[in-house]
Amino acid sequence: MASLIEQQIRTRASTLLAEGRIDGFVGYRQGSGPLRVAPFVARAPAEVEKLVWNPVCAPNLAGALRKYAGQRAGVALKACDARSVAELLRLHQLDRERLYLIGVPCRGMLDPEKVTATAAGRVTSLAEEGADVVIGASGETLRQERAGLLLAKCAGCPAAPAEWFDETLHEDVPAPPVGDRFAAVRALEALEVAERLDFWQRHFSRCTLCYACQTVCPLCFCKECALTLERDDPRRLAREPASVFAFHLMRAFHLAERCTGCDECERVCPEDIPLSLICRKLELDRLE
Amino acid sequence: MSEPFEPRLLGLLCSWCAYGGADTAGVSRLQYPPNIRIVRVMCSGRVDPLFVVRAFEQGADGVLVAGCHPGDCHYATGNVFAEQRFARFAGLLDFFGIDRRRFKLAWVSASEGARFAAVVTEMTEEIRALGPLKMKAPAWQA
Repeated sequence: MASLIEQQIRTRASTLLAEGRIDGFVGYRQGSGPLRVAPFVARAPAEVEKLVWNPVCAPNLAGALRKYAGQRAGVALKACDARSVAELLRLHQLDRERLYLIGVPCRGMLDPEKVTATAAGRVTSLAEEGADVVIGASGETLRQERAGLLLAKCAGCPAAPAEWFDETLHEDVPAPPVGDRFAAVRALEALEVAERLDFWQRHFSRCTLCYACQTVCPLCFCKECALTLERDDPRRLAREPASVFAFHLMRAFHLAERCTGCDECERVCPEDIPLSLICRKLELDRLE
Repeated sequence: MSEPFEPRLLGLLCSWCAYGGADTAGVSRLQYPPNIRIVRVMCSGRVDPLFVVRAFEQGADGVLVAGCHPGDCHYATGNVFAEQRFARFAGLLDFFGIDRRRFKLAWVSASEGARFAAVVTEMTEEIRALGPLKMKAPAWQA
């Protein structure tokens, strides 16, 4: 029972691959459960059946696409992914001529953690029904309003320009969710400087310098990073607070002009450090 | 047996103006606090914000970046780049909770020995009042 968008993506990917216009189609495949998806490249028309489109397709495909820079690739992009791809194109990391971009209407993706929290036990199925999602967990089914389970980044999502894509899939999709995406950042900015230092130190004290935030970021593309400490660097082994602080501060500065607010850094952070606040701050700075 | 707090300042001074200014201050025997350690750079535009962050990481309580007055840059526009870069950077320092007064960008020409002494004195006193920049140990170490 593939959704309409999923069927359209498969059809288009299959056609493009069969016509030889692209070497691979970048999309998602189902992961280890109903709440997990992983980036996937279909290389032949026979593989398109693995492509999925569901309400938890949150990972940013721009990062996956960058690995295939130079190859002719097709990709299905939701608005936040499209903004990252646009930024990569601006920075000459991708070749527009070699890409076939399909815009996918998105009404916000669900936060797997919120979905897990609503259900008792293991979530075994997930389906959309209008404005609701139906969650199946340990033999029961739950009906929840979609709007309550969305990712934080989806609130007030500025949609991507449609004319920029090679084609846009059409489905009757309501406007992206509304909300004030800057509320948390403004609250933090209203604090005293010392309180902010305290706030960040409290969160950064959990940081293990695993650099997942940097690895996943589609716009961190330097081959060698000036901020990464070697695995045996004493500052990394000791998780030196000043060094952790320095890393996050400089990462923010390096992303100041680039960050598109896809919140991948926060999604992958194993310690749940609120890195999206930094993304929102950068976004706010650029607006002002 | 705690000693009174003596701030440690790093000065990144441009070779053509601010460093000359520091020299002038010395030659004309102007007094200014000995808390500043000076590094000569070829231009204030050469200063990467990473230098500033590394200085804070390694125990500096304040960082002064000084270069030529706008329009006087030896390399025409280096100080303009520095100004743009550090305007953005200072905002982030503030956002992360480092007091804005701990970082200063100043324009000092080679003849302005008195101005250099005044800038360093003022900054040292400000930071003396602020106290040391301390990164607390993480919870698992405490």
